[in-house]
Amino acid sequence: MEWQFLFELTINGLLTGMMYALIAVGFVLIYKSTDAINFAQGEFVMIAAIVVAGMATNYGFPIIAAIAVGLVFMIIFNIVLERVVLRPMIGRPIVAIIMATIGLALILQGAGPLVFGAGTKPLNIGVPDEPLIWGPLFMTPIDVVGAGISIMFLAIFGWFFMKSRKGVAMRAVADSHMTSMAMGINVERYFALAWILAGVVALLGGLVWGSAIGVDTQMAALGLKVFPVVILGGLDSIIGVVVGGLIIGVCEALAAGYIDPLVGGGTKDFTPYVLMILVLMFRPYGIFGKPIIERI
Amino acid sequence: MFHRESGYFNTTYKADMALYPLPIAKFAIAAILVLFFVVAPYFLDEYYLSIINLVAIAIVGALGLNILVGYTGQISIGHAAFMSVGAYTAANLATKLDLPFWLTLPAGGAMAAFIGILVGIPSLRIKGLYLAIATLAAQFIIEWVINHTPTISGGVAASIEMPPPEFLGKELVNQAELYYFLMVIMVIALVGAMNLIRSRIGRSFIAIRDQEIAAEIIGINVFKTKLIAFAVSSFYAGVCGVMYTYYLGIANYENFQLITSIDYLAMVIIGGLGSILGSILGAIFITMLPIVIRLLMETFGSIFVDDAALAQVIAQFRLIIFGGLIIVFLVVEPDGLAKLWQNIRNYFRFWPFSY
Amino acid sequence: MKHLQTGLLMAGMVAGAATMAMTSAQAKEIVVGMACDRTGPTQTVGVMLCPAYHDYVKLINSKGGIMGNKIRVVEIDTQYKVPASVEAYQRFKKEGAVVVALWGTPMTQAITSNLNADHIPGTSPGFGTAAAANGEKYPYLFPMAASYWSQAGAAVTFAKQELGGNIKGKKIAFIFYDNPAGREPIPVLEKLAALEGFELKKFAIPPPGVEMKVQVQDITRRYRADFVISHLFGKGPSVHIKEFKRMGYPLKKLLSFVWGAGEADINGAGGWAKAQGYNALNFAGVGSDYAILDEIKAMYKAEGKDAPEAMASTVYYNRGILAGAVHLKAIEMAVKAKGSGDITGEDVQKGFLAIKDFKLGGILPPLNFTDLDHEGGGWARVFRVEGDNFVPAGDWLRGYRDVVIEMLKAE
Repeated sequence: MEWQFLFELTINGLLTGMMYALIAVGFVLIYKSTDAINFAQGEFVMIAAIVVAGMATNYGFPIIAAIAVGLVFMIIFNIVLERVVLRPMIGRPIVAIIMATIGLALILQGAGPLVFGAGTKPLNIGVPDEPLIWGPLFMTPIDVVGAGISIMFLAIFGWFFMKSRKGVAMRAVADSHMTSMAMGINVERYFALAWILAGVVALLGGLVWGSAIGVDTQMAALGLKVFPVVILGGLDSIIGVVVGGLIIGVCEALAAGYIDPLVGGGTKDFTPYVLMILVLMFRPYGIFGKPIIERI
Repeated sequence: MFHRESGYFNTTYKADMALYPLPIAKFAIAAILVLFFVVAPYFLDEYYLSIINLVAIAIVGALGLNILVGYTGQISIGHAAFMSVGAYTAANLATKLDLPFWLTLPAGGAMAAFIGILVGIPSLRIKGLYLAIATLAAQFIIEWVINHTPTISGGVAASIEMPPPEFLGKELVNQAELYYFLMVIMVIALVGAMNLIRSRIGRSFIAIRDQEIAAEIIGINVFKTKLIAFAVSSFYAGVCGVMYTYYLGIANYENFQLITSIDYLAMVIIGGLGSILGSILGAIFITMLPIVIRLLMETFGSIFVDDAALAQVIAQFRLIIFGGLIIVFLVVEPDGLAKLWQNIRNYFRFWPFSY
Repeated sequence: MKHLQTGLLMAGMVAGAATMAMTSAQAKEIVVGMACDRTGPTQTVGVMLCPAYHDYVKLINSKGGIMGNKIRVVEIDTQYKVPASVEAYQRFKKEGAVVVALWGTPMTQAITSNLNADHIPGTSPGFGTAAAANGEKYPYLFPMAASYWSQAGAAVTFAKQELGGNIKGKKIAFIFYDNPAGREPIPVLEKLAALEGFELKKFAIPPPGVEMKVQVQDITRRYRADFVISHLFGKGPSVHIKEFKRMGYPLKKLLSFVWGAGEADINGAGGWAKAQGYNALNFAGVGSDYAILDEIKAMYKAEGKDAPEAMASTVYYNRGILAGAVHLKAIEMAVKAKGSGDITGEDVQKGFLAIKDFKLGGILPPLNFTDLDHEGGGWARVFRVEGDNFVPAGDWLRGYRDVVIEMLKAE
């Protein structure tokens, strides 16, 4: 009985971890290529889900059409965002960029409900709710689908950055804006591309998480789960996101299953942060992060 | 602004670094003090005094955060957690040991400073964004510990009722009475911060912010200085937390969650990083903005929107305007309100002959 | 604008002079303050509940107010922040409010001492500290509706009923929001567990509770609970319905406290079809089958408008009606006692205590306020999801009232 529960917890922790990674990868994409830190990642996921769910429930769009609207919206939104807010901020201190994205988060928190109404909306992408039972093992379909989508896109991004021409150019831009320009890379276009990709990922995250937990502004709280994931894995590593996500997912599951009963309180949200601090003490740039060499 | 600044020549370093470099500044300060300590409480309704009280509390917190973020360059997203440390320390001392405010205030600050040093230790190895997230972790961990330790939090409700501060045998209960109490603490904190910044320690803060390795080479003990910055900043946060506790009448950790940390970060960034005046302006701006937006929309909003829907629209628009202004300020005036004020002053300094 | 309003008011008075001559002599604007959360973590409740309050006040005003005295509501969105709430309270006080609606447990705790000092009654329906129901200790705080302690009593009563009248040795899981408000019912539950001999296990969900798969898995797969009592807020309820459903747990054996009872929670969980059998406690009636709601619809129709959107949520909308109705009833009592609209917070406090058997056509339980009991009796009623509606599962009930009262006195 006990080992079976442990096994189930671990499996479900891994699946949830992959779904965290799906949100976190948007964060890493932006950091990797533009050096900007997006504290509004959770709000991006939220607004994408609100647009899709709002189109589907308020205006009766079929789900495919709603997703298409969401996709177009996220792309346009992120292009505008990059042009209007983030580009003028290039080269400014980290705090300023953090604050700008927090401001953005507030705007999205206010605008989403203003346009589509504040109530919680269902988002049904056709995944059933009944549990999948394989022998002794219980799994929920949306987790499996979510993890599947996550693995697929992470693999695509991995390939994109390592092998494709655009991906390599993007890494070059991340490394040094100056040198990339000198080498004839259109830096500004790659910035826009990074934000567009982040928008698309946010849409995927919104779809998966929206159908897992329902859509409203509270979804943005998922953004807080991103930090331990990305820091643990290293801010600039796609592999790091996957590993970080898996570790955090399992760590949360085990904490809730085994530490909670001992201390009589919810430890699930805070154990990832403790783990993260411990890892940071030994590896200040995360497990897969690239150390920065400081010079005068 | 309207006084002559030329003709004064400082001949010593001491005079150059004085708090009031010009004689007229003394009069200006005196005038401001009279305005706030004599005129304002006499003419203003208790409601407006309560808003000024909130601003005064926010100024102390913002000063503390600016010392860390603005002057030393270490990002902290866990400022509110230190406030809660101060708040609960003071509340426990006041209820269990019956200590008066002049002991609970420094004690709350000292406890927060101690915790701040612990949180600051990782700053030896962790830098930049990684450090920012580590302080975020501190926010969650401190919150959790308070929430789950009945001896600290005072039981299941995690909130402790705070007896009102007592001054010369008189209990300061309402907002008008608390006004003097909070304003005096604020002024002390303000003068303290201004003096700290122009001291040796303050200058080493700035050196670390500008170039850490260079600072180390010229003989500054980087680690120690960073810890001092964390301690001072947390001390201010702790005092701010105690002020909140006296203001609200309860110590409650739900008042010091992540969103409060973010509000304070907004204050120092919008006000101006590395500027005392910036901390003040930022605290005023962020505290007053929602109130002013609401008042304006209550007055003029009914022209555009149906009355019944107004409350909802106000609430949502307030978030949008708040976020929008943060972004506009960051994009248009990177150095914050302090710089904006300077620009205005410079304009008038040469007015009407600006060339 | 002000003049126009006064002018209209005067015109109205002249028109109705025959009936109103008695009372309008000293007609006065009575101010009530309302703190609301429309943009914070509990916004899904606020956007439904607060409009109802406005509608009820509007309805009473359209009927000529309370004995000719019009009511004005000052609403402030506090975003569930404590300092903002204290600021809001000061504003209410400045506007001369005679009663204020509070919002949120920590805010209620912060403002309670002010209420006593300023002699302004405040209300905290369904939240705040349970001990505040003791009016002897908190004369100016009125929870007005079942506190978390009373809800715990009602929940155990219902569980007992559902499990065939005997819960000795049964396993009951309590899944709660890991904050002070969430932990509030625990002492009562533990006491009842000892009294009735059932096994109680607690599962904490850290706020904001957007993800709780593991805890639900623990309840259904390891603990294998016979009955689950949940006490979650915000997004939590809709998530836990989904998770229990996904684990294949019968929702009939799941009972939520009052803040998991809304239509929004059902929608968030994926719609009515997916939440069949889910139970939730309520302290105001659910559904649109009440005369007062028809009156409000008729009022809007007379203005040529559609019924407000918030009415779609009969759960939270009706709770807003409860807040409005009890407030105005207390004011009415105060005005009657005083003989004019020139009332203070103290008069309204006495007005609350004068309320006896107030049901408002069945949308409320029979509310009675006494010096000791500021809860109005501690009534709750379970509503269950059946078809596309909440259907009452039993009548208004109070469980283990003696235990709760005993604890109130002990505080």
